[in-house]
Amino acid sequence: MTDQGNLRSLLQAQLSGQSLARPFYTDPGLYQADLDNIWYREWIFAAPLAELPKAGSYVTFQLGGYPVLVVRGGDGEIRAFHNTCRHRGSRICPKESGQATKLVCPYHQWTYDTNGQLLWARDMGPDFDMSSHGLQPVHCASAGGMVYVCVARNAPDFAPLREAADRYAAPHRPDELKVAHQSRIIERGNWKLVMENNRECYHCAGSHPGLCRTFLDDPDLFGSGDSQGSALGAAHVERCEAAGLPSRYLAPEDELWRLVRIPLVGETVSYTMDGKPAAPLLPGMPFANAGTLLFYHYPNTWNHYLSDHVLNFRVMPVSATETEVTTSWLVHKDAVEGRDYDLTRLTEVWIATNDEDRRVVQENQLGINSPAYMPGPYSQRQEGGVIQFVDWYVRSMLRGISGPARVAAE
Amino acid sequence: MAKTRQNWTAEPWQDSEMLECTMVIPESDNCATIAFRPPSGAWFDYQPGQFLTLDLPVPGGAVQRTYTISSSPSRPQSLSVTVKARPGSVGGRWLLDQLKPGMRLRAYGPAGQFTFLRHPAAKYLFISAGSGATPLMSMTTWAWDSGEMPDIVYVHAARKPSEILFRRRLEEYASRVPGLQLRFTVEEVDAYAVWPGYHGRLSQIMLGLMAPDYLEREVFCCGPAPFMAAVRDMLESLGFDLARYHEESFDAPALVEVPVEPSPPPGAAQIEFALSGITADCQGDDTVLAVARQAGLNIPSGCQFGLCGTCKVLKREGEVLMVHNGGISEEEIAEGYILACCARPQGLVSVEV
Ligand code: FES
Ligand SMILES: [Fe+2]
Repeated sequence: MTDQGNLRSLLQAQLSGQSLARPFYTDPGLYQADLDNIWYREWIFAAPLAELPKAGSYVTFQLGGYPVLVVRGGDGEIRAFHNTCRHRGSRICPKESGQATKLVCPYHQWTYDTNGQLLWARDMGPDFDMSSHGLQPVHCASAGGMVYVCVARNAPDFAPLREAADRYAAPHRPDELKVAHQSRIIERGNWKLVMENNRECYHCAGSHPGLCRTFLDDPDLFGSGDSQGSALGAAHVERCEAAGLPSRYLAPEDELWRLVRIPLVGETVSYTMDGKPAAPLLPGMPFANAGTLLFYHYPNTWNHYLSDHVLNFRVMPVSATETEVTTSWLVHKDAVEGRDYDLTRLTEVWIATNDEDRRVVQENQLGINSPAYMPGPYSQRQEGGVIQFVDWYVRSMLRGISGPARVAAE
Repeated sequence: MAKTRQNWTAEPWQDSEMLECTMVIPESDNCATIAFRPPSGAWFDYQPGQFLTLDLPVPGGAVQRTYTISSSPSRPQSLSVTVKARPGSVGGRWLLDQLKPGMRLRAYGPAGQFTFLRHPAAKYLFISAGSGATPLMSMTTWAWDSGEMPDIVYVHAARKPSEILFRRRLEEYASRVPGLQLRFTVEEVDAYAVWPGYHGRLSQIMLGLMAPDYLEREVFCCGPAPFMAAVRDMLESLGFDLARYHEESFDAPALVEVPVEPSPPPGAAQIEFALSGITADCQGDDTVLAVARQAGLNIPSGCQFGLCGTCKVLKREGEVLMVHNGGISEEEIAEGYILACCARPQGLVSVEV
């Protein structure tokens, strides 16, 4: 059902301002097209820098069909590789994260250095060339304390994002953070439903009692605009910029990513049940009530940089109707659990919020699975962010299927 | 009818056998060629240009050092390394001062990719500085012994004429085949001695004079890192295709060097395999892995020279002497882990196996 022509007509029939047609959320062929045209082409958020604190720290994950390995080398550089041995292809690191001295394939102990070089392989004969059997590299770069990878042969230009995100995140000291907690949940919904749900707060009042104690569900603040439509937002940006915090709305022309700092409710400073800080003020922040620096990057991450901690969210597609969401809570590396912060207080709001979102996404998926589902209109006022995301998705898919790479007969 | 072999009825040397030092031949100040033979009578099989890793029992702790081999596998009865002790060197100093014929060393290898056998070409350009001459000497001897007229321009940079390594042997080869051309340059000349060769640092102009047809040659370079970087830059700016440039650092070992605890002479030792309830008597130079095998236990292993880390086990008690190749981190060692393949029990040791 999803050959090129079919997909093109489905995309072209899509009306801006309306939810997508059913196959986009349910069809395995379309899921594969999402992978081919978006996930295998764009930069994908892989892990917080803080998860790779020292030489040999590694993180693995599944990016569609690609098992990927990200590791910090002995020289301090972070590199990404395809997590597949150059011998017979076995996965080299089966664990989700860990610490390795050498990367050793568990199957026949082919041994690679953390820079991907093959160091040893038993009994391969004198003509075997070790230097041409290193691990296959994956593009890898970091921005704002987050490591990104791209499995495309040619990766899109990363420089503008790195420049912007590094500058905006700098006061939060991304190099000095540690992972205080990480959670991983599976939402039984298409990845686009997970992103769509994130891009609006139309549902917040009905679903997120804990989050709404501190998060302002004002569409003028977090929607697709520059947050200057809200007097509160405009004043907040002015105040933060004056104190040296980059805060003004910033996004490239294609709106692939966005940075903007918005205020929280009243005098609250962090996502806690009482609105008080959950961890010590990050050393680079001039004041506590700096609100949150919102940063999304399509297709797979949204983030909150607060004055006392940083939240990274990673979205990974698992199937047409399943998505993995990994949340990392980062605090200053000198903060001590139990003394400077309480893990329950730090995490309870977003553990609850993630779970609430999981439920709404799953219900959304179940409803869309009904043959009776038909695309409905988004609220122009409340769901501007969703409209923008879906427009970006349709644009990216159309560009993907009509790109030159697709024309070549293979 | 099969002809019986006159020589080499033995098997080639395996690095499970220790090597015996047979000769120490001075080359120049602080530099000597050291020859080894396997006590079993085995012969050496390797590729000219490869290196050998030696366990050196220096005072204050054993170290591992790699040396490129200066002998040629076309002369397989013995193997030699040519060692220069630079100021502050530990391993080189020990080899020159302490190693005497008759002493035995543990050696690993030979290994390495730097050999012209992997890159057959009609013409070669060998460039070296200081003791970087060793792998190129090995390749030159192989070429000469091959009986086919080699076409090699052999460039060597030394500090003084008296420090040109292997000069007499090279001149002997070169005077008997037209294809081997020797080009030496020195930084300083000895007073009242004639020096008709090049003088000064190797430069683009000098290279053009030494080997006008360098663009047609496969280049092999070995020497200190800055020297090799300069050669590479020279060739690149002259439009040389770097795919035909190969280099080997003679002073950066291919494997990590790890100093370990002071080593008492091997004596009686005992290993308790705590989870299996087996205790085995052994010697202080047996490996934990070997003793486990003999006791009927199996510790998963891979490389067996301390690189892959597969044989990592937790030590509960006792001391081991461990010379590894980077298969374990300092942290893991601090936590009590050892690599069974290269840990030798010093007295009573208990491991979780
Ligand atoms: S077997 Fe590879 S380190 Fe011991
Ligand atoms: Fe939500």
